[in-house]
Amino acid sequence: MLVRSAQGLYWMSRYLERARRLCRLLQLQTESLVDRPIREIHFGWSRIYASVNRDPPAGRIELLGSDDYTLADSYTLAGDLTFERSNPDSVWSCFDQGRENARQIRQSISTPMWTQLNLAYLRLQELEMPDIWAVSPESFYADTVAQIDTFVGVAAATMYRGEGWRFMELGRFVERAQLLAALLLAQLDAEQHVEEASDADWTGLLRLCHAFEVYNRRYSVAVQPRQVLDLLVTDPRLPDSLGRSIDRAAEEIDAIGPGPDPDSSGALQRLAGRIGGVIHYQWPDHDDCQALLEQVRTHCYELHDRVTAAYFDYAIEDAPAS
Amino acid sequence: MDFDTYELDPSVYDEMLLPDGAPRDHCRPLYDALRRMSSEELSGVQERATRSFSHEGISFTVYGEAEAQERIIPIDCLPRLLSGADWRLIESGLTQRLIALNRFLEDVYNEARIVADGVIPADMVRGCPQYRIEMRGFSPPHGVWVAICGTDIVRTNDGFHVLEDNLRVPSGVSYMIANRKVIKSGLRRTYRSARVREVEHYGRLLQATLRELAPSGRSDPCIALLTPGVYNAAFYEHMFLAGEIGAELVEGRDLVVNDGTVYMRTTSGLRRVDVIYRRIDDDFLDPLVFRPDSLLGVPGLLHACKRGSVSLVNAPGTGVADDKSVYAYVPDMIRYYLGDEPILANVETHLCRRPESLEYTLDNLENLVVKRVGESGGYGMLVGPHATPAERAAYAEEVRANPADFIAQPVLALSRAPCLIDGRFEPRHVDLRPFVLNGRQTRIVPGAFCRVALRRGSLVVNSSQGGGGKDLWVLNDQAN
Repeated sequence: MLVRSAQGLYWMSRYLERARRLCRLLQLQTESLVDRPIREIHFGWSRIYASVNRDPPAGRIELLGSDDYTLADSYTLAGDLTFERSNPDSVWSCFDQGRENARQIRQSISTPMWTQLNLAYLRLQELEMPDIWAVSPESFYADTVAQIDTFVGVAAATMYRGEGWRFMELGRFVERAQLLAALLLAQLDAEQHVEEASDADWTGLLRLCHAFEVYNRRYSVAVQPRQVLDLLVTDPRLPDSLGRSIDRAAEEIDAIGPGPDPDSSGALQRLAGRIGGVIHYQWPDHDDCQALLEQVRTHCYELHDRVTAAYFDYAIEDAPAS
Repeated sequence: MDFDTYELDPSVYDEMLLPDGAPRDHCRPLYDALRRMSSEELSGVQERATRSFSHEGISFTVYGEAEAQERIIPIDCLPRLLSGADWRLIESGLTQRLIALNRFLEDVYNEARIVADGVIPADMVRGCPQYRIEMRGFSPPHGVWVAICGTDIVRTNDGFHVLEDNLRVPSGVSYMIANRKVIKSGLRRTYRSARVREVEHYGRLLQATLRELAPSGRSDPCIALLTPGVYNAAFYEHMFLAGEIGAELVEGRDLVVNDGTVYMRTTSGLRRVDVIYRRIDDDFLDPLVFRPDSLLGVPGLLHACKRGSVSLVNAPGTGVADDKSVYAYVPDMIRYYLGDEPILANVETHLCRRPESLEYTLDNLENLVVKRVGESGGYGMLVGPHATPAERAAYAEEVRANPADFIAQPVLALSRAPCLIDGRFEPRHVDLRPFVLNGRQTRIVPGAFCRVALRRGSLVVNSSQGGGGKDLWVLNDQAN
């Protein structure tokens, strides 16, 4: 398929996955504004900003002991992550980029996919921060997640399973792996800066990945950070787990097959296998979770570069012609 | 809804009603159906049509001072009807015209007999900015320079006139199809009983045409549609057509020319391209030959085209035949090449390059439409009766400075058709742009992009100037 189309599908998918993850985080965070202690709210914001690698508008998040301040600050922070045009990773920007990529390669996706995405985009265009904050910000985020999930479902139901589909899936799982690795590191990092870790910080992570009930069944309702990490990192049956994301990305790379340059295609396949190896074979017997996660995160970023080198940015002189 | 307050003006042809207010014969079923419908019902049709365009992203891009905006072409829900007889006239007239124009292009880039025989002044052809000297000696497959044309036709009380031949990269055909889709679902029962001829097979005809124009020996040609990209006003159309004809939608950066052959960059390497339906102007096609600053084009593309390894459709250089001055000579071309009288009339045109026409133009500015030869899309023109004296004076200065850049035409009483405006029927001026395809044979779908000047009294139908669209129904009344 045309390189630009493959790239458009890959990026469309990545941006929508990014928007989805951010909306999930903001959904849980705005839920916590209703009844959680200020310390937890503060922890939540720090974790979000660390995971998206962005500085909060005022440079840092102040821990003030008053509800009023916390809520006012939360409004500013949520606005910065949701509608801020100048924030390239805000929900608004991710949607804008996702839809723009889709628009450019619209002939490569099905009509129902385009319509669903465009409707979701148009809805977002009509909203501002005060609209979502006044009643129930968490339901706005939940609705937005549902819109993206619907898009993914419509895609699954209607899109031809050609190379385009593969690149779309690849983009989604590369993004998902990068985001989760960054979030887990943010969690570990934020924990080191609080006096007393709270169970809620960990259960929030489980909920975020739709793993709370599974965890309770498999382990116990008592939260053990290491067990939470094991589940989120290695479980191949959990749609959001790191291990599954990497396995799925590797499957898509296999299915797409080699690009024009055998060397960079080989390097890509080996890297995907190596990350899988770390997760499935090193993680269970390893004590330093942080070090291993750092390694996985670095590899996940590298994975993107290798995809680009193998399929998108190859040298024309080396390319076979047909 | 009734037509009681609908204004009729005997000096302007109304597409639905006779001067006495009775419906024209072929319009009677629609007229009766509209009278049975309530204002709410029709407004509902209109709203659903607009909403569906917005949801499906059927838009064009307008460039303002600040930023590019995606806009919907407003659609009016009342279809314009053409009788079978009217359509047959248009169809035969357009076929005749396109054959002559293709003969003209083959001639002026080769022997130039028409110039030697004194039918058209040499300096008008060779001095035309759209005349591409690089194309001299070139002959495209089957002599087809223009394979896709969208001709603007207007009707007055004196019949149909060709206003403009668009022979370069005409757009609008996707709106013809989009308008048809929403209107037929909005007026489903009326549509079914009206026996309207179909237009939605345009993509099949276009694909057949493009395949016929492939370089010889390429029996299963790879077709690509070359777009300037998502920022182009007509990007929706490019995307839509690529899907309809099963072509890859490519930008210049997706193509490379290697050893005089064109390839596109795919994820598994380079793939040869045989036919390019290009929606980029000549100027931007190939930075090695035309504008060197073009980022949209493909270096070496023209060379590949001239050596016959790829077919560019339409061929480069066709703009010389739809130049606003050369336009005045199309009836002579038809007589010269075909020995026939033109079936469709031209609009009377004064070429300001001629001293007597210049004088006439300047003396009658308040009654004329004056156009710049090199402009299109309704830009840079003066509608005399609607301009202020100061605007006319300023424009006259420009005309005097470069007379050859201007032509003048009488203000035509463009026909009007009923539109739904604020819950009432009101007349608005309309034109139509049918699309003619020419491969080894001529193919025309019975329909057109019908443009309507939605502003009251306005004669400007261009989408970029506040115009809208209408569905146009060609009726299958052969049996009657």
